[in-house]
Amino acid sequence: MAVQLLNITKTFQKLTVSARCNLVPIIVNPLKEELYNNNVITYSSTRNTNFFNKLPAKDLWKGITSVSNAGKKRGRGKNTSKSKIKDLNRGQVIGIGKANIVWPGLSAPIIRGKELVRQEQLPEDPEREKKLIQLRDKMGTFKHQKLSPIERGWSGSKMPGRSIGPPDPVGEETFEGFDTKVLELKTVFNMKGNFGRKRRLSVLVVTGNGNGLGGFAMGKALEAKIALRKAKNRSGQKLMHVKLFKNHTVCHDFFTQFAKTKIYVSQKPEGYGLVCHRAIKTICEVVGIKDLYAKIEGSTNVNNIIKAFFLGLTRQKLPEEMAEEKKLHLVQFCKESNNFPNVIASPKECRTAEDIPNDEILDFKQYCFEGKVVLNKKKRPPFYAGYKSYELYLQKQEKLRNQSKVKENLIAEYGQIKSFLADKYPECVQYKPERKNKEEADN
Amino acid sequence: MAALRHISRKLFYNFKPESKLKSETCAICIRLLNYSAIEYDEKHDPAPVFFNKDIQSLLKTLTRVDLAKVNRRRKLGTKKLEDPEYKFMTDEQLHQAIEKAKKNTEELLQIPPVVALRKPTSRVLSKDPALQGLEKSRMVFTDITFGVKDIERLIVVREPDGTLQEVDWEMRNRINQTYFPSTDRYIKPPKMFFGEYFESLLNRKEYEFVLDRACTQFEPNDPTYQRVVSITYQHVNDNDGFEILRSTRHFGALTFFLVWHKSIDNLMSELIETAHIEEADKLLELFTKVHGISFEGSQELDRIEDYIKKVSSKKAVLELGVQAYKDLAKRREELDTGIETAHGLR
Repeated sequence: MAVQLLNITKTFQKLTVSARCNLVPIIVNPLKEELYNNNVITYSSTRNTNFFNKLPAKDLWKGITSVSNAGKKRGRGKNTSKSKIKDLNRGQVIGIGKANIVWPGLSAPIIRGKELVRQEQLPEDPEREKKLIQLRDKMGTFKHQKLSPIERGWSGSKMPGRSIGPPDPVGEETFEGFDTKVLELKTVFNMKGNFGRKRRLSVLVVTGNGNGLGGFAMGKALEAKIALRKAKNRSGQKLMHVKLFKNHTVCHDFFTQFAKTKIYVSQKPEGYGLVCHRAIKTICEVVGIKDLYAKIEGSTNVNNIIKAFFLGLTRQKLPEEMAEEKKLHLVQFCKESNNFPNVIASPKECRTAEDIPNDEILDFKQYCFEGKVVLNKKKRPPFYAGYKSYELYLQKQEKLRNQSKVKENLIAEYGQIKSFLADKYPECVQYKPERKNKEEADN
Repeated sequence: MAALRHISRKLFYNFKPESKLKSETCAICIRLLNYSAIEYDEKHDPAPVFFNKDIQSLLKTLTRVDLAKVNRRRKLGTKKLEDPEYKFMTDEQLHQAIEKAKKNTEELLQIPPVVALRKPTSRVLSKDPALQGLEKSRMVFTDITFGVKDIERLIVVREPDGTLQEVDWEMRNRINQTYFPSTDRYIKPPKMFFGEYFESLLNRKEYEFVLDRACTQFEPNDPTYQRVVSITYQHVNDNDGFEILRSTRHFGALTFFLVWHKSIDNLMSELIETAHIEEADKLLELFTKVHGISFEGSQELDRIEDYIKKVSSKKAVLELGVQAYKDLAKRREELDTGIETAHGLR
C-alpha cells in the first residue's frame, strides 16, 4: 500500500499535466478501486519543525565551519574557516521567488496608470536561479586586491617596503612632506601566567621627509592596522637630523656597527642609485639619500641594520668639520672635470707640511673608515672560463665583435644595411620580406 | 621668406635621391640656412696675422676664461660617473695643484688654427700609355713608414689610363684614416655637417658640439671645415650665442672671424650691454691690428664712439648701448659718492 502511494507521488513529480496526454484514467482508476474496496483511511503526519528551521543560519554555519576548542587542540578541523560561510539571503527579495508571481502591493504597485494590477503568474525566469548560484559561488572565495606596482613593497602585497603615509598630526603640527615605510611586520609571542602564549604583531617603520630628517620606531598591537599606526606615530616623535652631501648622498664614506651588524657605506656620484640591502635602500629613500653603496658584513637583522645605519648617519662629519679637524684643505678631484682641484672645505688656519707628523693618516678613505680596510674580494671567474668549449666560443665570437657598430653606421649612412657596392649590384642588400603596400591592401 | 624656405626644402627633398655630388647638397643646405660659406682664401692668408703673438694674447683675453666653465663636469661616454677622489692638502699643495690644472686648462683652450684653404694638388709623376687598360680600377700606393707626417706621406695613384699622379686631398684623408686611423674621425664626414641635420643643430644652439666635432673630423684647411665653421660663426653672430662659446677654445677663432670680415657690431653691442668696456676696447685694438684702422680717443668710450662713427654699420643700436652704459656709470658714481658722504668720508 505504502509502496504504491510512493510510486504514485513519484509519477506526479515526474509528470506534467497537459491536455494532450490523457493520464487521468490510469492513475485515478486503480486508486478508486482500492479505496472503495478496502475502505481504509490513510493519513500522513507532517512536522514543521526540524533541524534546519529550529536553529538560526548563524548557528548552522558555525556547526560546520568551526571546531570546538578541545577539538582544535587535537588538530581537528584544519580545513575549516569562517570564510566559507555563505549568506544565502543575499540577492533574494521578499515577493520575488522561483515562481514568477506578481503580488500587487508587495512586488508590484497596486495601481499602474488607471488600471488595478492583478495577481498573476508570469513565465519562470531561468536566469534568476543562475544568478543566485553565481552570487553564492563568489562568496567565501575572497580575492586580495591587486596592488599597483608603485604601491608594492619588497615582495608582492606584503607590508615590508610599503609606504603608509605621514605620521598623524599632533595638535596643529602636521608632518608635511613626510612618508613612512614599513621595514618589518611579524608576529611575536609572549607567555602570560593565565593566558599562556599571547600573540601580537610587531611593526618596525621608518619615517622621513626626504630632505635630511628621519626617524624609526617599533609598534606592537593585536592587529596589524593598530600596530602600524602606533609605530608610524611613534616614529614621528623620534626624528633626527641626517647630514647630506649636495642633497644627494652621504657626507663621506663611513663604517658603522651595531651588535653583529657591520656596515661599510660609500659616497657615490649622482646617478649611481642605491646599491645596498633593501632595508638600507628604504631608509635612504625616506631620508633623502639618492646615491650610495653599502655593504653589510655579519648579521642582516633588520632591527640591527636600522640602528647601525642611523648611528652611522648621525655620526657623520660635515666637510667643514673634517677640514677644521685636520686643519687642511679638503679637495675633490673628478675625472669628469679634468681632475681640476675643487676645494670642498677650508679650515680657518691651515697647517704647513712641517706641522704634519709622519704617522698621521692623510689618506681620505683611511681617515673615513678610521683605519679599517674594506675587504674587496676578487671576483672569481665563472666555472666555464677554463673550458675548451668556451675558448672556442670566444674565438668564434671574435669576428662578430664590431658587427653591431657596423650595422649602426650603415643604417646611419644609407638608411638600411647594405654594401657600398649596392649601387652596382642591387642584390648586396640585407634581405627583407616585402610588406604589402597600404594602397594595394585597400584596393 | 617662409615660402622661399618651403620651396627650397621641397627642392632639397626632390634632389635627395638623385644627388650624388656633395657640392650640390651643400649648395642647397646653404640656401636653407640663408648663410653662405665664407672661406679664408689664399690671396689673403690669415695665418701670419692669426699666429701673431699679440693677436693670440688679445684673442685669449677676449675669451674671458672661467675655470669653472672650462672644467665643468662632462660626460665621458661612460654609463656612470666615476667616484671622485678626495685629498687633504696644505696651502702649498693646493696652490701647486691649481697651477698644474691651469696649465692643463691652457692646453684645452688652444684656439683651433685659422689658415687659408688648401691648394688642390694632383702632380702628375709619369704617364705610361703602355699600362693603359691593364687594370680596370685605380691603384693607390701608400708609404706606410712609421713617423711620417700625414700631409707629407707619399701617396700616389695609378689611373687606368696609365697616369701616375699624387692623390687629391680627399683621397689622401681617406687613405690616411684607413692606415693610421685617428679616433673619433670617420672616413666619410658625419651627416651632422650637412643639410637639415646641420640646420637643426644650429637652431638648437649646439655650437660647441658642432665646432668640437668639426675640429676632430677635419683639417683646418679643409673646405668642408671652413664651410661648417663659417656658417656656425655667422649663426652665432646673428643669434647672439656669444655666451655659449665664451671660455671655450672656439671663442678666439670666432672673434678672429668676425674681425677679419669686419662684422664685430653684434659682439661689440653685447660687450657694451654687459658692461665689459675694457674687452670692447681690446676688441677695437684687435681690429686696428688686423685692418690698420686706428681709432682716436684718450678713453675707452671715446675710442668706441670713434669706431661707431667710422666703421660700424649698426650705428643706432651701438649708440643707444653706449648711452645706456654712460647712464649706468653715472648712476653708479652717484651712488658711490652718496655712500661715501653717508660714511662721512667726504
